[in-house]
Amino acid sequence: MRGLRIYAIAYLVFLYAPIFLLPLFAFNDADIIAFPLSGFTTHWFEELTRNAALQAAVRNSLIIAASTAVLSTILGICAARAATMADWPLKRPMMGLIMLPLVLPEIIVAVSLLVVIVQVFGLGLSNATIIAAHTLICMPFSIAVLNGAFQNLDPALEEAALDLGESRWSAFRLVILPLVMPGIISSLLISFTISLDEFIIAFFLSGANPTMPVYIWGLLRFPGQLPVVMAMGTILVALSIILLTIAELMRRRGLKRAGLKDTGGFL
Amino acid sequence: MTLIQLSGVNKHFGDYHALRDIDLEIQQGEFFSLLGPSGCGKTTLLRTIAGFEDVGSGSIRIDGRDMKGVGPNLRPTNMVFQSYAIFPHLSVAENVGFGLRRADMTRDEKTRAVGEALEMVGLGGYGGRAANALSGGQRQRVALARALILKPKVLLLDEPLSALDKKIREQMQVELIKLQREVGITFILVTHDQEEALVMSDRIAVMFDGGIGQMDDPETLYRRPRSKRVAQFIGMMNFLDGEVAATGTEIEVTVQGLGRCSVAAEQAPGAVAPGPVSIGIRPETLSLLFEGETTTRKEVAAVVDEVVYYGDMTYYDVRVDGIEKPLTLSMKNLIGRPVLDVGTQTRVAWDERSLVLLGH
Repeated sequence: MRGLRIYAIAYLVFLYAPIFLLPLFAFNDADIIAFPLSGFTTHWFEELTRNAALQAAVRNSLIIAASTAVLSTILGICAARAATMADWPLKRPMMGLIMLPLVLPEIIVAVSLLVVIVQVFGLGLSNATIIAAHTLICMPFSIAVLNGAFQNLDPALEEAALDLGESRWSAFRLVILPLVMPGIISSLLISFTISLDEFIIAFFLSGANPTMPVYIWGLLRFPGQLPVVMAMGTILVALSIILLTIAELMRRRGLKRAGLKDTGGFL
Repeated sequence: MTLIQLSGVNKHFGDYHALRDIDLEIQQGEFFSLLGPSGCGKTTLLRTIAGFEDVGSGSIRIDGRDMKGVGPNLRPTNMVFQSYAIFPHLSVAENVGFGLRRADMTRDEKTRAVGEALEMVGLGGYGGRAANALSGGQRQRVALARALILKPKVLLLDEPLSALDKKIREQMQVELIKLQREVGITFILVTHDQEEALVMSDRIAVMFDGGIGQMDDPETLYRRPRSKRVAQFIGMMNFLDGEVAATGTEIEVTVQGLGRCSVAAEQAPGAVAPGPVSIGIRPETLSLLFEGETTTRKEVAAVVDEVVYYGDMTYYDVRVDGIEKPLTLSMKNLIGRPVLDVGTQTRVAWDERSLVLLGH
């Protein structure tokens, strides 16, 4: 028991200590990343606002992340809805295959997509190609979240709405949609976060317009820029934590609204 | 007036024959029950009337209109679901008024209708509450109000009381009967609880394996079950083997342990032919004779085998010569009447009028 507790603490230290270094050096008044710390500054954050190339990369990333979130959530709603319906042929293998990108190595996905897009379809690399690829890797997460939301619903709720005179579509809109809304928001936020800091696929598939993670990687070649990267990373980590927390809160609210017990989640 | 008419309704789920040749007519204003063990098809039958399931073959007519291809949203039926299906994101009033969304009514008229519907089910003043904050019994009332506000021709109830405690269930049974008389709407109730069906219904259809075993009013169903299966499902029944010697207005039959009897033809509601037959006797039609007691009925010697005390009643299992299984009989616990011990030698009074000859 005692050993397990020490293990758990060590695990958490290894996981989070490096992340705590980010804000530490982001506010450190020195060009090099080393102890001892030499004083407080917001200089590196000011530098961020003056870097036009970085701002373009951030804008790119936001567009990609927002589009990915919407696309993967819409597709996720369709898949989760199909999964709650009565059994249709190949339903199980199909649902399994949809979830596969969750465990596929991203580098494999990235390389094969690059081959397909450039060699097979002869298309150029653009934001659109990254959006398509990010949608592919975000969909399993969307489906996992939305599946929970849809499957927690009593099928009699939809029948009751039909019975009270609503059409299939209005029953969906008036009863199902509001009840799965927390799941939808949760799915949007998770996909957005995953896409925003995804590197490997974006690195392979971005054309002349790098995303933020790809741009940051490029900066690493210039040691003088390291504290700026630290500042950027601080903002990213804060944003990710905030978004994931909101996503989890929405998921729990959804469970509570449907009057159900919590059976686990991402946080 | 016939309101609902089902003729030759069949339904398959894959290889499973869920409904077999259902023919039935339900009258306007009737309280009709579909009773049967789980898996007998009663809920499927209700759902085909509601429009949630298609019929494989046969037809359903409601108020003279063929319901083929008519969706549940367009049928003059409303349903109270087993889980109640209260919309958890809406208030009580919004739940009850849900079906009025498409109605041609002003906002004030709708508000008034919702108020009246809540009043009718005894939930006046609960409109503003969240649906999640209600107890089981209250949710059931909301489901009722939500269905009845649309003034359907038929109200379908799918085991509406099965999720409630015994006390509340019995109270709701009485309230449902009153409510049905008040609104005059035809009710179709699905239940697996034979007591509930007997208490509430004008008529009951007992279902087995997708077919209707017997359809009668509660008293006929209890007193004159047509088959052993129906008799087993409704109330308690002793079964004896016998042999029919002659049929006619009086049926001559030899009953094991009781000897030769002659019973009226109406006591054999199922078809009976000369030969072996199963004979049913209800426990309350037999009685123990205490010491010194005499009777004008027939009597037979017996030994007490088992005693179960229920407070108002005592159930005895007694052994009678010539009958391999003990007979169950019930005695009211009147003042001064003793409860006999196991092993007591006693006599049982019986009557030819209490025998029911059962078909197969």
